[in-house]
Amino acid sequence: MPKNVHIKCPESIEGVKALADYKNIIKQLLFFNVPPKDETFILKERESEIKELQSEEEEQQPKKRREKGKIRKITNPCCDNNTGKEGNGGNGGEEDKQNQGAKSPTEVSKKLSDNLEYMKKIYSIPTNGDMVLREFDIVVKNEVIPAFMIFFDGMTDRKVINDNIMQPLMLLSNLDIKSDEQDVESFVKDHILPHCQLKVEKKYRSIIDEVNFGGCALFIDGVETSFVADVKGWEHRGVERPNTELVLRGPQEGFGELLRVNTALVRKTLKDEDLIVENISIGRRSKTPCSMLYIKDIANDDLVDEVRRRLKSIDVDYIYDSGQLEQMIEDCALVPAPQILATERPDRVATLLTDGKVAVMIHGNPFVLVMPATFPELLTSPEDTYVRFPYGNFLRIIRGIGIAFALLLPGIYVAVTNFHHEMIPTDLILAIAASREKVPFPSVVEILIMELAFELIREAGIRIPGPIGPTLGIVGALILGQAAVAANIVSPILIIVVAVTGIGSFAIPNFALGFAFRILRFGYIFLGAMAGFLGITTGLFLHGLWLVSAKSYGVPFMSPLAPKVRVGGYENLLARAPIWKQEVRPDYLNPKDTRRQPKISRGWVQKKEGEDGNGGKQD
Amino acid sequence: MRKLICIFLIVSILCGLLSGCYDRREVDELAYVLAIGLDKGKTNKLKITLQIAVPMAIGGGGEGGGDAEKASTIVTLESASMYAGLDLANNFVSKQLNLSHAKVLVVSKELAQEGGIEGFMMALPRGREIRPNMFIAVSRQSAEEYIRAVKPVLEVNPAKFYELNFRAYRYTGFTANTDLHDFYLKMKSLYSQPVAILAGVGRFDEGQEFDVKGSTFDEKNRSIPLEGDFVAGEITKSGGVKAEIMGLAVFDGAKMVGELDGEATMYYLMIQGDFNNSYMTMHDPLQKDKLVILNIKRSRNPKRDVKMINGKPVIDVKIRLEADIQVLQSGINYEMPQNLVILEKAYEDFIKEGMKRLLYLTSQEYNTDIFGFGERVKQQFITWGEWEKYGWLKKYKDSTFNVDVDLKIRRPGLTIRSSPIQYSNGEGAQ
Repeated sequence: MPKNVHIKCPESIEGVKALADYKNIIKQLLFFNVPPKDETFILKERESEIKELQSEEEEQQPKKRREKGKIRKITNPCCDNNTGKEGNGGNGGEEDKQNQGAKSPTEVSKKLSDNLEYMKKIYSIPTNGDMVLREFDIVVKNEVIPAFMIFFDGMTDRKVINDNIMQPLMLLSNLDIKSDEQDVESFVKDHILPHCQLKVEKKYRSIIDEVNFGGCALFIDGVETSFVADVKGWEHRGVERPNTELVLRGPQEGFGELLRVNTALVRKTLKDEDLIVENISIGRRSKTPCSMLYIKDIANDDLVDEVRRRLKSIDVDYIYDSGQLEQMIEDCALVPAPQILATERPDRVATLLTDGKVAVMIHGNPFVLVMPATFPELLTSPEDTYVRFPYGNFLRIIRGIGIAFALLLPGIYVAVTNFHHEMIPTDLILAIAASREKVPFPSVVEILIMELAFELIREAGIRIPGPIGPTLGIVGALILGQAAVAANIVSPILIIVVAVTGIGSFAIPNFALGFAFRILRFGYIFLGAMAGFLGITTGLFLHGLWLVSAKSYGVPFMSPLAPKVRVGGYENLLARAPIWKQEVRPDYLNPKDTRRQPKISRGWVQKKEGEDGNGGKQD
Repeated sequence: MRKLICIFLIVSILCGLLSGCYDRREVDELAYVLAIGLDKGKTNKLKITLQIAVPMAIGGGGEGGGDAEKASTIVTLESASMYAGLDLANNFVSKQLNLSHAKVLVVSKELAQEGGIEGFMMALPRGREIRPNMFIAVSRQSAEEYIRAVKPVLEVNPAKFYELNFRAYRYTGFTANTDLHDFYLKMKSLYSQPVAILAGVGRFDEGQEFDVKGSTFDEKNRSIPLEGDFVAGEITKSGGVKAEIMGLAVFDGAKMVGELDGEATMYYLMIQGDFNNSYMTMHDPLQKDKLVILNIKRSRNPKRDVKMINGKPVIDVKIRLEADIQVLQSGINYEMPQNLVILEKAYEDFIKEGMKRLLYLTSQEYNTDIFGFGERVKQQFITWGEWEKYGWLKKYKDSTFNVDVDLKIRRPGLTIRSSPIQYSNGEGAQ
């Protein structure tokens, strides 16, 4: 009880009250007082939650007792009941919605007022500000029929609604239409509404789903169905350059946020009637539209089924991002590399689809997931195949060196400077010794400081608003490095090591793989500091085991390096063969059609009959 | 899952604790020895000289350009053995001494002749820090004197001086590549004996002091010393670095038995097949007072064959060389094919003579097979026991040699046709 209540008491009996007052004053001064409640709002636990908590406690108590005794093993009926309840509780949201449906009719009513009522309730009109409900009359065969239309403002294209739906319904229906149609529903559908994407729906559920996703629902009095027009027209980003996978040679367009635009971009590149775009919606509440793409007569059916199975089995309420989806459908969360390739490039998706892979797109995200992914593929850039093959191979070699640097250079530096002094040229070791002379830390600490600073600059550089970002990144790195050297906190040679490592990590074509390597780099630093090359070798060995044991959708992650495959996949593995040599699709994908092109794909190199020129070069 | 994390944590922590970064040494906690010198001690078995790099003076810590004088510090101490000496030295050298960058082991001639390196030559390759490709050199003066005389002028870092100087044999032919590993193997081999680079400290400070007492030109009946007629320390030069290398020290086992001068070393390289290229000066075969200089190169690997005739080895050596004309002082038109033959023949004879002199010197005087001819003999035995019993190294002194030199002059340089210098009084050879 709050003490000040006592103080406020009217003083009836002087002495006792005074004593009580003193007591209270002392209490107030010396003991703990509950501070006055000055919050204006408290987010209280919901009643059902409290009940759940209580039931959980009840559930746990008998468990504890059993554990202590450990004599009998009898299934507790109460416990079983609880788990059953919990299962129901988990799907609470869905249940609620279904209950809602149960109370009121699930199908469109013939009476317009019922429909209006129901829609108002569902969409909480007028609480929902962006919901537009427009009531009007239409004229059908000299008959005036009331109707209403419902759609979300901002998600729909107003011009389309005005010109293609409102105008014909209200004005053009007055025109003399030469038809004997008497049924209002088919008359409206066949003659009055000139909109191309029009669905006739009966169920409220599907109408609501359409309206939630930028549709416009039309209810007409006396008609037991509703017309749902697809008038999506929200603001979105156009097709722009991809942000992460830039190339010099090759198409410059990247995926956007709109699912249909994205599928169109792939279809535009592939132009194959066997390209299947399957629609799947994920998320109990969000119903995020996703598309699964594959080429019917190339992709292995089992692979397609497995992707479909995984997608359909996902039970979450909201999902918006392909990154979230990737985590839901990848094989193992602990493998130090992405097992699904995320790309922003339609041309890349198209190429991978023709290999026999499956792509998954999710609405509202420019990254498309392609699966299965193998490690060698993560190291390739689309540009490799666009430039001539010597150039492509040069790029690959440079990138390979960059990747090795990003992963191992700091570790090797630590190992060499701590254990293997005999390995480096005398001049260099003396230079390192001289540069480290005034540095007070061991080289491990030194390199950790710099790596950490570098990662910090990298992370902060993304968060810094707009124009300052890149500037601060460069200036920060330069000044920090320079100042750290001047302050004798790190040695100048180390700055080079860290800088080269950083540059190397940017050469990794796959952003997600870059992440994995950036983290593992620290592991190699510790191993190098602990046991020199022995440690690094052990690390590489374990790293290799880890990767070799991983699988992505049933395809070993390191294939075709390990395990080896009979044919295919080698032409474009580490080095790249000329494009006309890449005849076979990767065998590890077990595609339905194994050949890309015949043995001689360049017809012109073949000698014409009866001619013995020197054009008969081997392909 | 929790169990997995626990195991992972335990393993990683134990790795750190148990390995404990056991032999981790920071670069700046070590003192790098660049050269080791061994002399006969006054008070103890050995006098050890260590040249230690001073990184701050070499690396400069960013200021660039170090000071060659301060680039290294030299300490000398006496002790019973090498490693004992290192321990002792660490009492006054603040950083732990590390031999992993030692470039050269210098032994004084005195110690080498007494066979005093036996003990530590057996011990050296066992040490993990010692580089197998460290050079081994014998100093004609004391090793300490030699190391103290190394004051590089062109380099700051003495290690670089050693590396470059000791590899000059590739274009001079006056020393050989004698690394520690090679020396060790040959020392223990049944068919070959080691050599070491001959080093010394230059005798002369100024041009006036020059003399050629130390030159070997007299023995070879030459009027003037040619470029190969010197050994280290005797080169008539002043200025620059006083430490010199030239010639080879010939060993019998671990004992030094003799010296080879620069010319003999060149022939040694030719017979070994290690010869690269070098200039060779000779008197003009047609005009004895003028000189001819060729740039000689190895054209094929030498052919070496040993036959046993009457129980005595007969060794055939066939050397194939090619050469470019470098200098023709006489102006005689040697470029013409008929003259070319004369020059080639003269050079072949010249080399053949020198080679025979060297071969008989090693077999009859030094009695040590530094060329490894025994390798060819070894092939003629079926079992190792027979070969061991045979004792090639004892038999080498009875060898007779057939030397065949084939020299082809390929290119005349930029002058296609020589013609003599013309004087107004009509002089000028035709």
